[in-house]
Amino acid sequence: MKPIPDTRHWPFQSVLVANRGEIAVRVLRTVQRLGLRGCVVHHAADRDTLAVQMADEAIEITGATPVAAYLDGAQILAAAQRCGAGAIHPGYGFLSENAAFCNAVAAAGLVFIGPTPEQIQLMGDKVRARNFVERGGFPVAPSAIEDDDPATFNARARSVGTPLLIKPSAGGGGKGMRIVRDLAVLDAEIERARSEGQRYFGDGRLYVERYIENPRHIEVQVLGDAHGSVVHVFERECSVQRRFQKIVEESPSPALDAALRTRICETAAGIARSAGYRNAGTVEFIFGTSGEFYFLEMNTRLQVEHPVTEAITGLDLVQEQLRIAAGEPLGYAQDALTTQGHGIELRIYAEDPARGYTPTTGPVLRLRVPPGEGLRWDSGVLEGGEVTAAFDPMIAKLIVHGADRTQAIARAERALADTVLLGCKTNIAFLRRLVQHPAFIAGDVHTGFLDANPQIAAEPALTAGTQRALLAAAALSTRPLRDAADAVPALHAAIGPWSN
Amino acid sequence: MTTTLIATRQHHFRLGEDEQAIALVRTADGHLLHTADGASAVSVERDAQGREWLRIDGRRHEVFIATRGDEVFVHLDGEAHALRYQHPLQRLAASGAGSAEDSVRAPMPGSLVSLPVAVGDAVQRGQVLLVMESMKMETTITAPRDGVVHSVHYAVGQSFDRDALLLELESNA
Repeated sequence: MKPIPDTRHWPFQSVLVANRGEIAVRVLRTVQRLGLRGCVVHHAADRDTLAVQMADEAIEITGATPVAAYLDGAQILAAAQRCGAGAIHPGYGFLSENAAFCNAVAAAGLVFIGPTPEQIQLMGDKVRARNFVERGGFPVAPSAIEDDDPATFNARARSVGTPLLIKPSAGGGGKGMRIVRDLAVLDAEIERARSEGQRYFGDGRLYVERYIENPRHIEVQVLGDAHGSVVHVFERECSVQRRFQKIVEESPSPALDAALRTRICETAAGIARSAGYRNAGTVEFIFGTSGEFYFLEMNTRLQVEHPVTEAITGLDLVQEQLRIAAGEPLGYAQDALTTQGHGIELRIYAEDPARGYTPTTGPVLRLRVPPGEGLRWDSGVLEGGEVTAAFDPMIAKLIVHGADRTQAIARAERALADTVLLGCKTNIAFLRRLVQHPAFIAGDVHTGFLDANPQIAAEPALTAGTQRALLAAAALSTRPLRDAADAVPALHAAIGPWSN
Repeated sequence: MTTTLIATRQHHFRLGEDEQAIALVRTADGHLLHTADGASAVSVERDAQGREWLRIDGRRHEVFIATRGDEVFVHLDGEAHALRYQHPLQRLAASGAGSAEDSVRAPMPGSLVSLPVAVGDAVQRGQVLLVMESMKMETTITAPRDGVVHSVHYAVGQSFDRDALLLELESNA
């Protein structure tokens, strides 16, 4: 961990966190550790949460829905002024990638803890971002858009190379998509895709892109200061996903050797440098089975999974964000950054994996954070709290650190078993099955891994012994049942309840 | 050999998809749990550190137990489980014919996106009754049988928890 920076000369002495839940807690922790004042906005639904309890000042905001309150930039700016905040940290989600809000913060004379509005805009538009990255000479997946020049479309599609994917321009939901592995059938497949697009969407225009089989999701953390210095803080692999959302993230990626790691990390730093990027960001790549990788998108904010990077580098990324926003130079070169051991983050959700990962709700009647070495628990939920349908159903992030991947996985398995959360159905048992799966242990995963292995989500049948133990615990804890048993005279009890 | 229950009533718990019958009996030195598989001496005790221990069949397990109404949540051997005590009268009512098919409940928490039917409409089995949204995914809920819409409990835009009663069909009885 770097020494605590001297904040006395910083342009802000008070920070408003425009977020909720675990990320508000996470940001407040660093803000307060640095001796700054930490304020938070909150909707009435979050009145009893940890972030509100921790904050030096908490200001209630309102909205048609709880989510709408956290998206109301004008109200949040007014709250910042009311509590005398000199800066706003947006966390992730909500207003974190909203260029208009970023501009409004600056116009109000406050510091936005994040990149410039121009950088948010550039990377927020997928097509613009892709073109920018391609112009810089960085790898993007080969593609061909029919609209660019219909006369040469088939020839351009051919040069994309196989395997390739034909998609209707107007499409969505996988309809009309065709995978081509042999260029001999390309023209015929294009005609078929065109007629399908016409049938499904009334629009036969197409585009073609390189199809990555069993892709992995690998992303790189970057940091840039206001003085033009950019470093990468290594990669995170986030291939284990359900419903297109990450659920387990780790670093280092088991898919990379030293040379590939350097190449992908330096590519990310190069992209950030070419954008003059300021503050913390993440460059995401799609990574193919033969080691090829292509730019996917850049997230111009702190990521949910940033603790994985903190676990292996010892950096506090929120502290770095605050220092950068205060105008401080990074103060270290790329060589100064090293990693130690292996980090894994497991996202604990209120959801039912056996029913298609559908969200659940309920009270948190009992919560025991797992004890042990190398564990970190990031959560905004407390015992006695409630998981409602109003927000994202993520309850906590469990981050484990080990000397190597094997030890990290063993710690994850143990910590998941030791996590007690009663009252609301969660994915904890599922995560425990996942980290024990041979393919996960071998590091052999891709973004379709959970879809290809649905048995991991299915609940195994209980053994007869477990069923009896559960029934015993339930019977002894159910008042009317236990009282009735205790009221039976000893004579009957001596005879027993069953007679031949 | 047939067994008959005397003196002590049978009770039922829902565990997963199944309903389990048990009886609990007080003995001189604790309790006996009877299930279809036989009888076991059982106890739950709290030690000086506040940890709870379940003893059954000569084995000791650390447990965490929480209750809420008829629900019992048990963390046992590294995993959480939920059981629900089935009240005798409710079991009796639930055994009445066809009642479950009259009500349409939410399969997951979410909000109502559209409601193409109204009270009094005749609907056919499989016809769309409503569309709900949960975590940016839309789910279509269809009529479980032919019938007439008796009541609708939510308006478009309103949100609800899992198992909330969304809509009822007129009883066939």
